[in-house]
Amino acid sequence: MELRINQKAYQVDAEADTPLLWVIRDNLGLTGTKYGCGLAQCGACSVLVDGNVVRSCVTPVAGVVGREITTIEAIEEDEVGKRVVATWVERQVAQCGYCQSGQVMAATALLKHTPAPTAEQINAAMINLCRCGTYNAIQSAMQDLAKQESV
Amino acid sequence: MNNRRFARTAGWLVLLCVVAAGLLAWYVTRQPASPFEQQQATSFEPALVSRGEYVARVSDCVACHSLTGKQPFAGGLEMATPLGAIHATNITPDREHGIGAYSLADFDRAVRHGVAPGGRRLYPAMPYPSYVKLNDDDVKALYAFFMQGVQPANQANIPSDIPWPLNMRWPIALWNGVFAPTATYAANPGQDALWNRGAYIVQGPGHCGSCHTPRGLAFNEKALDESGAPFLAGALLDGWYAPSLRQDHNTGLGRWSEAQIVQFLKTGRNAHAVVYGSMTEAFNNSTQFMQDEDLAAIARYLKSLPGDPQRDGSPWQYQAVAITPAQNLGAHTYATRCASCHGLDGKGQPEWMPPLAGATSALAKEDASAINITLNGSQRVVTAGLPDAYRMPAFREQLSDEEIAQVLTYVRSTWGNQGGTVDTKAVGKLRGHTDPASSSPIILHMR
Ligand code: FES
Ligand code: FES
Repeated sequence: MELRINQKAYQVDAEADTPLLWVIRDNLGLTGTKYGCGLAQCGACSVLVDGNVVRSCVTPVAGVVGREITTIEAIEEDEVGKRVVATWVERQVAQCGYCQSGQVMAATALLKHTPAPTAEQINAAMINLCRCGTYNAIQSAMQDLAKQESV
Repeated sequence: MNNRRFARTAGWLVLLCVVAAGLLAWYVTRQPASPFEQQQATSFEPALVSRGEYVARVSDCVACHSLTGKQPFAGGLEMATPLGAIHATNITPDREHGIGAYSLADFDRAVRHGVAPGGRRLYPAMPYPSYVKLNDDDVKALYAFFMQGVQPANQANIPSDIPWPLNMRWPIALWNGVFAPTATYAANPGQDALWNRGAYIVQGPGHCGSCHTPRGLAFNEKALDESGAPFLAGALLDGWYAPSLRQDHNTGLGRWSEAQIVQFLKTGRNAHAVVYGSMTEAFNNSTQFMQDEDLAAIARYLKSLPGDPQRDGSPWQYQAVAITPAQNLGAHTYATRCASCHGLDGKGQPEWMPPLAGATSALAKEDASAINITLNGSQRVVTAGLPDAYRMPAFREQLSDEEIAQVLTYVRSTWGNQGGTVDTKAVGKLRGHTDPASSSPIILHMR
């Protein structure tokens, strides 16, 4: 089957029910996307599919054929993604960094749909787990980003 | 004079009682007839043994008579009944603890009539009211398989912990007299061969009714074939709601095609649902091994059982909803915990992750299945030796009773679903009953 990832076409040989995460990491070697739980619980594996955030560990690959997939490797090619990463750096959000690829994806998806989210909307969207507890730093970065847009 | 009459009456009464007691004693220890009475078979053609293995698969003997990781058919599964626990027995050909000393007729009486050698009655947790439908050929093949295709296991049976006098077995004979049919399956001449084969499997070896038919006060299945409307009409059991297998639009198979029924039984999933709860074991151990013609026959038969619009409610139709995750606790929990797999639109990712829009568990009044799967998650669906990639996680440790009640209320009243509200107390109760360390476990583990 053919997958479109980060504006490129990839030929993939995988069973229809293979989780997208395994295809991305194992078949294609794009290891920026992380495996946390495999059960849709943590968000470490988040990628964008047609601009929406999905958890790739519970996304059968057959379901994303013909759709536009974006992973962390290409997030800075996206206008919003680029701003998110810059703010993340500015606020020094990352600790170990394991969850951060997923966090950036969730943040980018939110801001693409809702450029100036309210605190409530941020809370509802930024639900990925971080075992280092960077939640406060994520909050600050998100507030910065929300302000940037509303100015 | 009066005294004499009294003595005579009393004498008659005593005699009557003795006769009645004698009759009763005869009845409750009676050995039912078997067509194999005089036959003594000791060695069998390999073809018959493998035919028997197939019958054992279809009958899902392994579900109760084996423990995972232990020797097959050596018994041991604990079933909690209201009176105490009973344990499935060793049915390997071991002569000491198993059924190695059974003649074909003994075996037949146990399987089809629930009577062990010596007249001891089996508990109807053994589905002999269904297995009685098995034809002679299948019983014989089954015997050949257990005698020659199964490794003997020298493993003692675990005695039941039901206290005396409740552990006396003879009253079961009376139960049998009222509730257990005695005839094997008789083909319905008004139907074709495929339908009849399906009816045979569903009513007999498949014993689908053990879970899917509601039970009466005496734990009897309310109907054992299509002549009774309650047959396969859905039942609450073991903390799960086994849905209707009739043509009910909402809670049954009304929206499933024959091909989809076949697909479900063969691969464990289709566009409507994925196996879960007790059905996972039935799939892992039994239905996936059935031959395509047999699955087609089952589908044909099930599609012939009419639904009951009165019980089922008005036909479900999808209704789109605006996505406002913050509107209440239920919607918020859904968006954060459930939507990654089941979709904000409730449509899931068929055939991998089932839709919740239009799901039986979201349409049935009984909310046990919805609560149970949320608390405890699903077991691995293993097809042809390969576990599937996705499973429902257990939320027991992550969500409170109230959060589960709210999220399920949301699921059961959105997208046209009409199952309705889930009570926080109901969640708490099932949480207790399904706690592995529970002192009040799920009652009567019948399969
Ligand atoms: S790895 Fe996908 S959500 Fe945790
Ligand atoms: S930064 Fe370490 S897990 Fe989030």
